[in-house]
Amino acid sequence: MIEVKNLTFSYGKDKQALHGLDFTVGDGEIFGFLGPNGSGKSTTQKILTGILKGHGGKVSLFGKDIATAHTRDFFQKIGVLFEFPYLYSNLSAVDNLKYFSSFYPAEQLRDIEELLEALEFKRDFLRKPVSSYSKGMRQRVSMARVLISNPKLLFLDEPTSGLDPSGAVLFRRMIEEERRKGTTVFLTTHNMLDADLLCDRVAFITNGKIAALDTPKKLKEKNSNQRVKICYLYQDKREEKTIEAQELEAGIPFPHDEIISVHSEEPTLEDMFIQYTGRGLS
Amino acid sequence: MWKDFISLFKKDCQMMIAGKFFLLAVGSLLLYTLFINFGYIKFMKAELYHVYLYDPLGTQPQASNLIYPVISLKELEQALVTDTTSIGIDAGSGAPDIILYYGSEKVDRHRADYARSLLYPDNGYTAKTVGVNTPELKQRKEITCELLFIEIVAVGFLGIASVLFKEKQMGVIRVHAVLPLKKSLFILSKIVIFLSADLIFAALMTVFNIGVADTIHILPAVLVQTAILSLVMALAGFGCTMVLNDFKQFSLAYLVIAVFAATPVFLAANTSIKMAWIGWHPFYQIYMGLKNAYFGTPVTDPVYYICSACGIAALFMVIQIAFRKEMGKEG
Repeated sequence: MIEVKNLTFSYGKDKQALHGLDFTVGDGEIFGFLGPNGSGKSTTQKILTGILKGHGGKVSLFGKDIATAHTRDFFQKIGVLFEFPYLYSNLSAVDNLKYFSSFYPAEQLRDIEELLEALEFKRDFLRKPVSSYSKGMRQRVSMARVLISNPKLLFLDEPTSGLDPSGAVLFRRMIEEERRKGTTVFLTTHNMLDADLLCDRVAFITNGKIAALDTPKKLKEKNSNQRVKICYLYQDKREEKTIEAQELEAGIPFPHDEIISVHSEEPTLEDMFIQYTGRGLS
Repeated sequence: MWKDFISLFKKDCQMMIAGKFFLLAVGSLLLYTLFINFGYIKFMKAELYHVYLYDPLGTQPQASNLIYPVISLKELEQALVTDTTSIGIDAGSGAPDIILYYGSEKVDRHRADYARSLLYPDNGYTAKTVGVNTPELKQRKEITCELLFIEIVAVGFLGIASVLFKEKQMGVIRVHAVLPLKKSLFILSKIVIFLSADLIFAALMTVFNIGVADTIHILPAVLVQTAILSLVMALAGFGCTMVLNDFKQFSLAYLVIAVFAATPVFLAANTSIKMAWIGWHPFYQIYMGLKNAYFGTPVTDPVYYICSACGIAALFMVIQIAFRKEMGKEG
């Protein structure tokens, strides 16, 4: 679906933002693009969506070189969710969706009210102006704007930002549903939980270079110290011990009365993020 | 493409209704019409200068009945003190001497000549007239032209900015970057809506203040000049909105345009101030084009229209670049 070879981009003479990125995104894959602020995530997404011109290297989408890909047909096949819910605040959710969907062929469109219902949008607000909505409601309408045209390729930038935990769960479910339908998702986020739960593969980008690219599981395994921490009771005393995982093959290798918990010391995706990018999440 | 354009146009209309732009335009039209019909025209209908004659010897038998006779020099002086723009004629010595309360070189001559002409009204001289406008119609055309120019330069320019700044603040311009539509249609729909509003405004303003009969002859030429000015201002407003960060900065830019662009045009066109370079000022050419259209002598020089078309096309191209930059900005 997406093929990027030696992608470079520079804002002016001395401000190189991308230094030769290489990656591919397969059909129906959820690909996480993770990196700190200013690492080149947005620049890459803007090049892929045709907003920024003048890049170096080779980029192809839907099997076509990007130079010729940004046609009306291309924009009919993609959906882009921005970090902020950009909507006409004087129009209602329904009017916003009617307006934005009017640029797509009618046969490609989903039903507005059904889609908003799937996104658990409050019915009472359907015809009220967006200015009266909470951030979560605006984010739902934005997601509906993206999904209404049944895109084949989704670009999602911080999709769960501004949502409460149940909203975030709902959005993840919607994204997984899209994957089941065969939609490819290019996910840009700081939210490591989203990336861990949703992405087939993730790329860590820092200073315009890809520092690591693999499945979240493999990235964590590669950097795991293979240890487990065991919390147990022995002679009425609570104790904790860290052992090598292989030692467990022959059972618990120390005396105990009761095991309270066993935790692997496998790093989290956030630990990986910090390790590869050298920066924490902001 | 038409379907996309209609969607954009409909949305822009909704934005302008929500922003009360049309209400403002109707208010301006009403205010200007009331001012012209009940203020300006009445104010401009100033009475003629009063002429007082002191002629104890009866040496001025032909004097017009517009002259007020006085019986003493004291009464003549009193009349000039009370009615300071009036003209006194002292014919006490047999020959008429002109007396004024105050004045300037040019006005003195004008008033003195007028007073002398009333002493000999039947001198058989009648000036030939070639114009078709009555003094009132001339005044109506002048003020309508000026107010229309101000309205389009100010309200049209600020109007497009107020709509676009809202869209900039809401971030929706960026959404249009990833929609399947020709990006230039976004600009075109805004320009068309402001052009239509300006043309309707110009037509109504002309009908209400010049009258239907005279409007029929001049309207096509007036609308052509209005369209040129409207396109230039709407495109300039669009460009400034894309380049500047907020409405405060825009207001400052407008002030610069008002002071350095529009003021010299009004001064050169409506006062005796001479500026050798004013012919190179594009607004001066458009203003004079509009004024000439109102007086039934529209510009026929093709160079003017070619330059206008090139200017509009160049502005449109520059704006497309600014618009693309705005679409690519961070959130």
